[in-house]
Amino acid sequence: MDASSGNVSIKVCVPSLLRDCAGNQTHFSLEACTLDEAIQVLLETYPLLRFHLYDEADRLRQHVLMYYNDQNISWLERLDVPLRPGDELRVLQNVSGG
Amino acid sequence: MALRQIVVFAGTAKGACLFHSDESRREWGMAGPHLSGWEVYSLAAVLRPETGRVRLLAGTSHMAYGPSIRVSDDWGDTWHQMLASPRYAGDAYGQGSSVKRIWQIVPGHPSEPDTFYAGVEDAGLFASRDGGTTWHLVEGLSDHCSRREWLAGKSGFGLHSILIDPADRRRLWVGVQGGGVFRTVDGGDSWVACAAGLPAAGSTVDRCVLKLALDPRHPGVLYLRHRQGVFRSTDGGESWTVFGQGLPGAFGFPLCVTHAGDAFTVPLESEGERYMTDGRLCLYRRREDGAAWEPLGRGLPEYPSYVSVLRDSLAVDTLDPPGVYFGTTAGELFFSADAGETWQALPGKLPRITTVKTWVESK
Repeated sequence: MDASSGNVSIKVCVPSLLRDCAGNQTHFSLEACTLDEAIQVLLETYPLLRFHLYDEADRLRQHVLMYYNDQNISWLERLDVPLRPGDELRVLQNVSGG
Repeated sequence: MALRQIVVFAGTAKGACLFHSDESRREWGMAGPHLSGWEVYSLAAVLRPETGRVRLLAGTSHMAYGPSIRVSDDWGDTWHQMLASPRYAGDAYGQGSSVKRIWQIVPGHPSEPDTFYAGVEDAGLFASRDGGTTWHLVEGLSDHCSRREWLAGKSGFGLHSILIDPADRRRLWVGVQGGGVFRTVDGGDSWVACAAGLPAAGSTVDRCVLKLALDPRHPGVLYLRHRQGVFRSTDGGESWTVFGQGLPGAFGFPLCVTHAGDAFTVPLESEGERYMTDGRLCLYRRREDGAAWEPLGRGLPEYPSYVSVLRDSLAVDTLDPPGVYFGTTAGELFFSADAGETWQALPGKLPRITTVKTWVESK
């Protein structure tokens, strides 16, 4: 935790298909105060991720899921949730078949 | 004298492969899969004069993560994704239009080496003037008065064909699934519908246009794959006449014309049964001076093949005699190095083949 700013370091995980949109990595960390801010930092740091996660109307794509720890962020009533050390933000695809 | 190199690109439901040979087309090597995991629905290759290198552009997409254009300047070893890939602005053109796939990427006229065009689903035409880095919507087409009548079919609502007049960089034709044929003579600022002679004549919109091809020797001669058969125009799309004599049925998607003027297509059993006629691998060719389409298949496997060839999975090369290539939905790739007389398989079995393109080294 960065005590001066209130920022907390959290883990981020993106699918390997999007590795080239996230600095050629799938697991990394970022610092933010709240979940909302963490998402903004993620998208500002890696703008290609925004392209693949959000549609033209700036909505999360229909079959993209973002999980904050064990919760789908679309289930949350608000995103200004204070982050705690060790929290995790995970991008998943809602795709089945085979 | 060194033999010229040829590369055949096969885009698939999961990545793309490159097959390379020399102009004899006897021995082939394979590279890839590249872009593994991404559906590669369109490909283009063009020599960049400023670098002397060939640039590849791939229209990639994924059912969750959407489409984008990726570029490679080292034959696919590394790819760079374009941040400014084709994308509609907000809710442009109503009904929540969004770019779902990139159906077609075509280099611009040779006099415009930095220009590329992309046909996308939902149907629209995008252009790049900087070698594929940034793209903008060709609004003249999307603003066409018929746009609201274009009909999105279940199999997609894309702009599937982009033809550029080799003799006039400002004259283009496009084919739109659910929308018809449109022509511009001013580089895309304004467009006219070209439906005279098609089954929906009398209406601006003919929703059953499946593929367009151009005779490279006579740019006013166009071929059109329609849900109800093959049509030809000898006046740049002003009018169309039936050109399907000899085909076993009306339905099918792919259509190509060689530099010798021979046209190739792949008939399918029917609209409901979208596999090759009678479950056998077979193409049809119509010689430039021929009276009818003729079946071709010598060398193709004779086992039952209830597979299809998608509209962009038939291609020709610019060698002499012309080569013809097609990929199936079962991932097989076949070629003829003698304008369709005899056929062989390229090595390997791939995922569902979505596009086939060729590139030949310049003399």
